[in-house]
Amino acid sequence: MGKPTGFVEFDRALPSKRTPQERIKDYHEFVNRYTDHTLQQQASRCMNCGVPFCHNGCPLGNIIPEFNDAVYKKEWNKAFQILSSTNNFPEFTGRICPAPCESACVLGINHPPVTIEEIEKHIIEIAFENNFIQPKKIHKRTGKKVAVIGSGPAGLATAAQLNYAGHQVVVYERDDKAGGLLRYGIPDFKLEKWVVDRRIKLMEQEGIIFKYHANVGVNINVSELVKEYDAIVLAGGSTIPRDLAVKGRNLNGVHFAMHFLKQQNKRNADIDPLAMASIESNIYPTTINAQGKNVIVIGGGDTGSDCVGTSNRQQATSVIQFELLPMPPKERNYNMPWPSYPTLLKVSSSHEEGADRKWSIATKEFLGDANGNLKSIKIVDLNWTTTVDGKLGNYSEVAGSEREIPCELVLLAMGFTNPQYEGLLAQLNIELDERKNVKAGDKNYQTNIQKVFTAGDMRRGQSLVVWAISEGRECARKVDEFLSNKNSMLERKDNSLLVHLDQVVVKIP
Amino acid sequence: MKRRKGLYDSTFEHDSCGIGFVASIKGHKSHQHISDALTVLENMEHRGACGCESNTGDGAGIMIQTPHEFFFDECLKLGIHLPAFGKYAVGVLFFPKEKHLHDECKEVFSRSAEKLGLDILCYRTVPVNTNGIGPTALSVEPTIEHVFIACPDEIKSSDEFERKLFILKKYATHTVLNTVKKDNIGFYIASLSYKTVVYKGQLTSMQVRSYYPDLSNKRMVSAFGLVHSRFATNTFPSWRLAQPFRYIAHNGEINTLQGNLNWLKTSEHNFTSHLFTKEEIEILVPIVSNDQSDSACLDNMIELLTMTGRSLPHVLMMLIPEAWDGNEHMEATKKSFYEYHASIMEPWDGPASISFTDGRIIGATLDRNGLRPSRYCVTTDDRVIMASETGALPVDPATIIEKGRLQPGKMFVVDMELGRIISDEELKQSICSNQPYGDWLNQYKIRLEELAEPRVTFSYLTDESVLKYQKAFGYSTEDIDVILKSMALDGKEPVGSMGTDIPLAILSNEPQHLSSYFKQLFAQVTNPPIDPIRERMVMSLAAYVGNNGNLLDEKPEHCHTVALKHPILSSKELEKIRSIDTGIFQAKTLQTYFKADGKVGSLKHGLDRLCRYAEDAVHDGFEVLILSDRALDSEHASIPSLLATAAVHHHLIRKGLRGQVGIVIEAGDVWEVHHFACLLAFGATAINPYLALASIRNMKANGNLQTELSWNELRANYIKAVNDGLLKVFSKMGISTLQSYQGAQIMEIVGISQEVVDKYFSGAVSRIAGIGLDEIAKEALTKHHFAFSKNELLTDRLLVGGIYQWKRKGETHLFNPTTIHFLQHSTKTNDYSIFKKYSKEVNEQADKAVTLRSLLEFNPCKPAISIDEVEPAENIYKRFATGAMSFGSISWEAHTTIAVAMNRLGGKSNTGEGGEDEKRYTLLENGDSMRSAIKQIASARFGVTSRYLTEADELQIKMAQGAKPGEGGQLPGHKVDDWIGKTRHSTPGVGLISPPPHHDIYSIEDLAQLIFDLKNANRNARINVKLVSKAGVGTIAAGVTKAKAEVILISGHDGGTGASPLSSIRHAGLPWELGLAETHQTLLKNNLRSRVVLQADGQMKTGRDIAIAALLGAEEWGVATAALVVEGCIMMRKCHLNTCPVGVATQDPALRKRFSGNPEHIVNFFKFIVQELREIMAELGFKTVNEMIGQVEYLKIKNNTTHWKHSKIDLSPIIYKEPNTNNSTLYCSEKQDHGLENILDWKLLEKAQPAIQNNEDCKGYFKIVNTDRSTGTLLSNEITKAYGSKEMSENKIHFKFNGTAGQSFGAFATKGISLELEGDANDYFGKGLSGARLIVYPSKSSFFKPEDNIIIGNVALYGATGGEAFINGKAGERFGVRNSGANIVVEAVGDHGCEYMTGGHVIVLGETGRNFAAGMSGGIAYIYDTKSQFEAKCNKEMVELECCITQDSAIIKALLNKHYQFTGSSIAKFILSDLENQLPNFVKVFPKDYKKALARLESSTAISVHK
Repeated sequence: MGKPTGFVEFDRALPSKRTPQERIKDYHEFVNRYTDHTLQQQASRCMNCGVPFCHNGCPLGNIIPEFNDAVYKKEWNKAFQILSSTNNFPEFTGRICPAPCESACVLGINHPPVTIEEIEKHIIEIAFENNFIQPKKIHKRTGKKVAVIGSGPAGLATAAQLNYAGHQVVVYERDDKAGGLLRYGIPDFKLEKWVVDRRIKLMEQEGIIFKYHANVGVNINVSELVKEYDAIVLAGGSTIPRDLAVKGRNLNGVHFAMHFLKQQNKRNADIDPLAMASIESNIYPTTINAQGKNVIVIGGGDTGSDCVGTSNRQQATSVIQFELLPMPPKERNYNMPWPSYPTLLKVSSSHEEGADRKWSIATKEFLGDANGNLKSIKIVDLNWTTTVDGKLGNYSEVAGSEREIPCELVLLAMGFTNPQYEGLLAQLNIELDERKNVKAGDKNYQTNIQKVFTAGDMRRGQSLVVWAISEGRECARKVDEFLSNKNSMLERKDNSLLVHLDQVVVKIP
Repeated sequence: MKRRKGLYDSTFEHDSCGIGFVASIKGHKSHQHISDALTVLENMEHRGACGCESNTGDGAGIMIQTPHEFFFDECLKLGIHLPAFGKYAVGVLFFPKEKHLHDECKEVFSRSAEKLGLDILCYRTVPVNTNGIGPTALSVEPTIEHVFIACPDEIKSSDEFERKLFILKKYATHTVLNTVKKDNIGFYIASLSYKTVVYKGQLTSMQVRSYYPDLSNKRMVSAFGLVHSRFATNTFPSWRLAQPFRYIAHNGEINTLQGNLNWLKTSEHNFTSHLFTKEEIEILVPIVSNDQSDSACLDNMIELLTMTGRSLPHVLMMLIPEAWDGNEHMEATKKSFYEYHASIMEPWDGPASISFTDGRIIGATLDRNGLRPSRYCVTTDDRVIMASETGALPVDPATIIEKGRLQPGKMFVVDMELGRIISDEELKQSICSNQPYGDWLNQYKIRLEELAEPRVTFSYLTDESVLKYQKAFGYSTEDIDVILKSMALDGKEPVGSMGTDIPLAILSNEPQHLSSYFKQLFAQVTNPPIDPIRERMVMSLAAYVGNNGNLLDEKPEHCHTVALKHPILSSKELEKIRSIDTGIFQAKTLQTYFKADGKVGSLKHGLDRLCRYAEDAVHDGFEVLILSDRALDSEHASIPSLLATAAVHHHLIRKGLRGQVGIVIEAGDVWEVHHFACLLAFGATAINPYLALASIRNMKANGNLQTELSWNELRANYIKAVNDGLLKVFSKMGISTLQSYQGAQIMEIVGISQEVVDKYFSGAVSRIAGIGLDEIAKEALTKHHFAFSKNELLTDRLLVGGIYQWKRKGETHLFNPTTIHFLQHSTKTNDYSIFKKYSKEVNEQADKAVTLRSLLEFNPCKPAISIDEVEPAENIYKRFATGAMSFGSISWEAHTTIAVAMNRLGGKSNTGEGGEDEKRYTLLENGDSMRSAIKQIASARFGVTSRYLTEADELQIKMAQGAKPGEGGQLPGHKVDDWIGKTRHSTPGVGLISPPPHHDIYSIEDLAQLIFDLKNANRNARINVKLVSKAGVGTIAAGVTKAKAEVILISGHDGGTGASPLSSIRHAGLPWELGLAETHQTLLKNNLRSRVVLQADGQMKTGRDIAIAALLGAEEWGVATAALVVEGCIMMRKCHLNTCPVGVATQDPALRKRFSGNPEHIVNFFKFIVQELREIMAELGFKTVNEMIGQVEYLKIKNNTTHWKHSKIDLSPIIYKEPNTNNSTLYCSEKQDHGLENILDWKLLEKAQPAIQNNEDCKGYFKIVNTDRSTGTLLSNEITKAYGSKEMSENKIHFKFNGTAGQSFGAFATKGISLELEGDANDYFGKGLSGARLIVYPSKSSFFKPEDNIIIGNVALYGATGGEAFINGKAGERFGVRNSGANIVVEAVGDHGCEYMTGGHVIVLGETGRNFAAGMSGGIAYIYDTKSQFEAKCNKEMVELECCITQDSAIIKALLNKHYQFTGSSIAKFILSDLENQLPNFVKVFPKDYKKALARLESSTAISVHK
């Protein structure tokens, strides 16, 4: 804490953004950098709390007060060292993490919290600019080989960590490039793909091998992998989207969000969005475009927002977003006290760009024209009850509120239910949990098959990128221990390394 | 040795006392001197104590010259014709009562004498009168006999005869000890000399005269009588612990005893003396036997050094030297004397007032701090009367020539053969010129700065190796960022807040630094801590590396040692020492490593080798051993430096070689102050922290420090921070010099096996056993492995630590994000189910044990009952108190919210030490009260007025605080806003200092006096004494109970909102479980438990905590931190920065607005806790809380612990059940008798009725004697009760007294009263003066000059908040300390005058002692300095000296006019008569801050006027 009174002197300030009018003309990121002065001021708002709740709130256990202090003192390399000791990819989390750390920030009890996420992004970008980040030479190789299936954040984190532990890592990715949702789920305006490329290149230089268009269970034989590798990590994500089984679902113009978003990402990268459909994920055979259409996005989450932003960039005529749940409160209430992660009304940058948001809406039916093209949607308002302790209860339809709204494109952004079972998982005959995720405990990440591990959404169900990285790191440690048959020297999330070293030194009789 | 079962240990016992003597300067013998001495004793009864029985004393006695005529007659009766005086000796022998033991001992004694060629003439049974002696004392009463021994013809000199007797005494004692079965409990030689005889026993002061009829025999004559009355913390009967001893009567405490005894033990091997044969020396050792009091040990040492040829004053100068190091005003020969002797031996350090005699001279000396009072007077009939109090022997004022006091470090001797008093100056001048000490030093002393450049030096460590070493030695990023950086940049130890909630080392999962198992001990009650900053002049860091030589002779080469100004060596300095070769002085480096193979026994092997090499090196003639851990590598780990040091130290002690070498430590695992303190405490002479220095150097080189400071400056800063920190560590134990701290083992070890302690840390206090060598090796190897394992992490960082801040990968904290969240959420929503989640998190720590209690579980011994049968919650709330957090440390909102909540519940909140705004005495509109029931009395006495005391239900004397026991505090000026300034009775903007000690509590009898004062000030309030848990706290608590406290709070080490040095928060004090259990056990053992309420606090968080505290013996409990968390605290740990973001611990108005606490939440919290407690009570079958107090059998140690460390802990001493032999209650059921019925104030009160009732003027006249204490205090209480916030008009009541006033004359006297004293007064005159006028002048019949004579004692006007005092004479030490508002005229003062003063005016019309105005931040003093001596005596750190201007002259004139008017002072008269010319002689002492604040106030007034 460079400045004890920083939090009193300075208000929370986010970096400026390009105006919505300007930014919707392209797919580039639009958040500007802080000036050095502002960055320092914002970092000085950190109070270096005796109990840093942020540090607890972060699934990675980022040592936030320490890097804030280093930023305040402009000790960039130190800040980078601190940040990267717990987080392999701050350039991703710095852009797209919903920042549970900020919800837990102590300052947030009565004032706006520290801009931790922005500071994180600045640290890593400054580190790249100053060439602090160089591919690390791995001097000691163990001779063990690990296959990581899936190159989303969980797979990448696992791969990076296992590589540091000296194992040879090969990453199998069914798409044409690495990154998973980072690559083809998140729109470029939130995460430009050179950021992903930059990281992948670094990992390759450190010795990780990436195999693309390698869909294990489809064009790669699972059992051969099992034979070839000493361990396999399944990090394929939770990819089955939640569907909306109402009448008219099959009409042309009702699409899953991922199909829509991936196409635009590919277009931005000058890649044919419809190619390689049999190998890659989320390839829809025809072009989905919002241009000139009335677009309805169903689902009020982050993916929904991404659909809004992308639709606007595709010059949709109108964009409406529906959410089943009622509008959340703007401030914390009784049921979501600090420092828990609250469900609050969030206005995303895409919303700034224009969208009509509606809450407590249920979809009754999609209506089409004679050609089977979508022409409108039938919805109904919902009435939600509250329980005695203020929590959300049941809903009922508001009589007489049923109505039709014209639209030509509906994007379903209601989340994901579980990983894909056919192919890889089926062939491995892997055991699933009751939610149809791959079954493995969060203590060992090991599946029912001894040398097969799993991490990320595939194990935990759909979640945040920061959780994916966290899972990947923890899983890597377990794999390392499995391979070396001793305690891993890789960083742990909780407890210091030393605690677990005690088993390897002095056996007390 | 007998193993303890519980926690009590007899070595914790303390005593302190009243002493005195009456002597004839000319050596005229008379019975009157004996009788007078006994009168002195009897008049100091209040300085002694009695235990559970009022007629069993702690011990008292008298020493006199051998009354030859009397003995001659007595022996004639026995048929023996005594030879002439000097030709025979008298021994006073205590024999066991049991016949056969008695005979056996006597047999041994006779045979011993025979063997030494001494003829026993006869034994005489000493007649005693046991009437009125208490049963406890009688239960072990010895048979007391005199033995008469003839001086053999071949012995020609009387000194030789004394030496022979000395040998006999030792021989007989050792033989009895070794041969007679059933230890020597009954056999003791009280004195054995031809010159002196001692009569003593376990008696009260009043009983000595009647117990020994001899003493009343008129034929018994002596030129002096030297008396002593003892106030012990225990009441276990022991006749031989009574004093005087053979040479001294000691009022004080030797803090460094363990070290002194170790050094003595090792030097015994080298003893040679031309006065004793080798065989005789062998008989004499061990010089000090086990199971003695510190005073007895000191007497043994004095006896040895005197017998071997030094004079008694010379010996005392060696043992209790003046503060010479750094004293520029000390005369050169004297300084050389002290410096020479410092290289031979260390001081026996601690507060001491010693009266001594060898039968020919009699004298007294005072330690360098002057922490015990000693007053004397010389009369026209050539008598000297010296005592702890003046007036102890009534003397006709007309016969007094001189009244004086002993000054710090000074000696006073009456040579009865020469027939005159020898002044300190003359005496020391003569002793110091006995030898050419200065020449010897010039010739032999090796001064570091004069040494040649080293032969070789290490190159600097590279970044990479620094990191590797840091890992291997266990550095964390916190150690670098929090500790090292702030020491290097600011030159100070870092500060933190909110106590500690991490596990003890033995409970922690993180590999520990070995020193974390060591807890610093500290002083409380029985001796005071010292202020190492403001009283720096008494402190010394000087260290001597080399051979100590033979203690029994004086040779020039004894001082051939390396003199260090302080014990911290830079790497270059170390190399210089390594390179020394003077021809007879060389150093040897030994590597401290062990094989890192992880095998059982490897560490032991390494230690054995190290000790072997060390022993060889000493035999090979090296004078310095350098223990180095630099040479670690992947296969060899370094032995923790503390273990290596202690192992070598104790090995060499056992071999008798330790004194021949200095041990220098070159260690990587030493960086914070506590690490250094531990090394020094266990034998290191000097330390080179090479890795800490390299870490700082590299940070600077890499630009990581953001500072302009150079590397040299950073290093100097770091070393300064370590040194200042060390001074603080010594001073908190009341130790002044590094030399006496070295090897003194002032630590309690928690969690190391007894085997390891006995072997490597021999003699150190350790009560909770734990890990052994292999586990220590494991912790070291874990770090070693971390450093040397090959791993390729993305980033290579040190561990995060997590000690000072919760960290996910760091140490466990009880307050963590989860528990804080649950606690706040549950109390806000009044949801008990969430609270249960919280308490589950806190209580069930599983393998992460944080507290000792987490290793205990309930052990139901009877059937459970329904919770409905348990007494209702409403009965239980009153047993709760909240912590002492001051307004100032926490905000008004936070403070009053707690007060309101506690008042709603019927519990008690505590003011803390910051005073209390009087508006809190009025109820709020809704009926709530913001008044804190407990008013704290802390060392600074902020706002402690008669009103404050009167408005209390309980008065708490804070002896120490958990976060920083033994230390003072400081509230910086910028935090003292108008409001706080007003509440604390100080000036806004002026910094406030809380001294480490209460200046009116230097000993247990002083505490008794303060309790008496407070009881007078509000007899309806309970008196609570707050102690901090440490080894021996139970023994102290027993003493405190005997001092009449009604509540004793045992506070854990872990609490505290206040700002404290981080090392103190973590390393000082112990958990409450230990302190509470020890206290309960010890009180029960002493049959005192039922007399006092026991309260415990320290991170109590749940009902389970409370239940355990109750079962361990606490019937009341304090909860502080948890209550703060309930009102919003989120453990920011930034209280000291005033930046609390939730408005709890801040005074910033903007931040205070963020406060969101609510009394209702706190009420909910206590309801939950009590509900949980009641659930546990039901489960255990207790219907009432009283039933469960002290029922430790309802606790057992969890037996399923498999953790590799936890399973080694032995908690059985904590749950040991002390037998309740007297069948008293295990909780408080008796009232203390404060003896208020017969005090003088009742007469005062009666006389004052017209004034109180009808506002009429009234006058009165009273006789007063020294046993009339706290005069005017009860009267003031009554006036305050009647007047409240209104004030009585000035001088409404005018009482005149004649005689010698006892202690605390006019304490807390309130406005409206004038007390005029003709005569003199003792200590604490005008303590806490609250508006009254005090006048004192000598008896009109005296003819001495008032301005040259002492008229009031030490610590006068301490903490005065208002009023006036006019003193026609000199005052003692520490005059006007912490005065915040009184206007005072005095004619001279002793050392440390006006220390910490914050307000008011003091005029001194004569000399001051040294260190005037230390820490003075406010008020003004005027010194009439005609000889221009003042400047040298003033501590100018915080004040400026100026000339007086017009305003000043008006003040001076007004006050002097009054002074003259009230006292008739001749000096005032003279000055007033020549004011214009005399004014320039006044020096104005103007505190810098105060000056600024006044200027600010003036300008702001000017501005407001302008507006």
